[in-house]
Amino acid sequence: MALDERMTVLDALIRVQREADGSIGFRCSCRVGMCGTCAAHVNRIPRLLCSTLVKTLDSDVVTVEPLPHYPVIKDLAVSLAPFFAQWRRARPAFRPTRADAPTLAVIGKDSTFRQLTATKRDCITCGACYAACSITGMNARYLGPAAINKALLRILDPRDAAGADRRKVLDHSDGVWRCHTQFNCTAVCPRHIDLTDSIVRLKRALVRPGKALTV
Amino acid sequence: MTPSLREVVAKYRWTFSGMVAWALQRVTGVLLLFYLFLHVHTISKLSQGPAAFNEAIATFSSPFFKCLEIGLLGVVVLHASNGIRITLLDLGLGGGRQRQLFWTLTVGLGLAVFLAGAIPMFLFAVLGAG
Repeated sequence: MALDERMTVLDALIRVQREADGSIGFRCSCRVGMCGTCAAHVNRIPRLLCSTLVKTLDSDVVTVEPLPHYPVIKDLAVSLAPFFAQWRRARPAFRPTRADAPTLAVIGKDSTFRQLTATKRDCITCGACYAACSITGMNARYLGPAAINKALLRILDPRDAAGADRRKVLDHSDGVWRCHTQFNCTAVCPRHIDLTDSIVRLKRALVRPGKALTV
Repeated sequence: MTPSLREVVAKYRWTFSGMVAWALQRVTGVLLLFYLFLHVHTISKLSQGPAAFNEAIATFSSPFFKCLEIGLLGVVVLHASNGIRITLLDLGLGGGRQRQLFWTLTVGLGLAVFLAGAIPMFLFAVLGAG
């Protein structure tokens, strides 16, 4: 198949689907790397299909496979059910300290929380970190990097009231302590979130409960 | 399709160097565990008297075991230097540079310390120089 200079792996797959095999199954949506729908194993590294230029792979043959650690639905499309099961366990929803507050609490752009979490908030729940982590592959009960990072963001939020509940989930053998600091999640995150750093910071916070958690 | 050696090296040299460091730490840890068993077994010969201990020690004076001792030094240094890297990262002192730490601290410094010990060991213990 002839490749164009700026062709992404997703473009190539769409061309294959149109010109060679219309039955190929894969998922995509935004095509600009912000929805997290099209993550797949490209040359055995989890990547977003829409953000990976074929020419940058420096490979004569491009191998595209479904993400590991997920049940395959069809061809490249996987079910992210295991990822979101752990995501829910981390209690990702905001729980306000004052549910009866008459006005919305505002987090200003210059606030400490915003400054501290600037590099941690961009998760698009693509599931690449969960696929890259060797621990999730061996232990399906492990929370996984994205869920732990989400819990960190909530714990750091001064408006949130569910920190103690989240700490119980995190301070467990299937929580942050299951991480072996392999950095695979950080290596593949398409949003360049240092997920291992989030886990390590939570580990330190959990062994020093009196100290303030910082990022 | 099986990836080429060049692709595997490119993948693990930098992108997944943290995984390589983790695997090395496990492998060297298991090797050190075997060594500890051997060490305890040899030391336990003391309970059977000086002759038994001297006989056990004599086994390790051959050039083959001297070469293994150099290997042991490499295993210890690699495990220790990567242990320092992990400790720094756990203390939040890595500054998001775990790959650089792996190549400079674990590999670079580890290799320097290993060579500083291995070269004299090879010259004096294996070749019998001096």
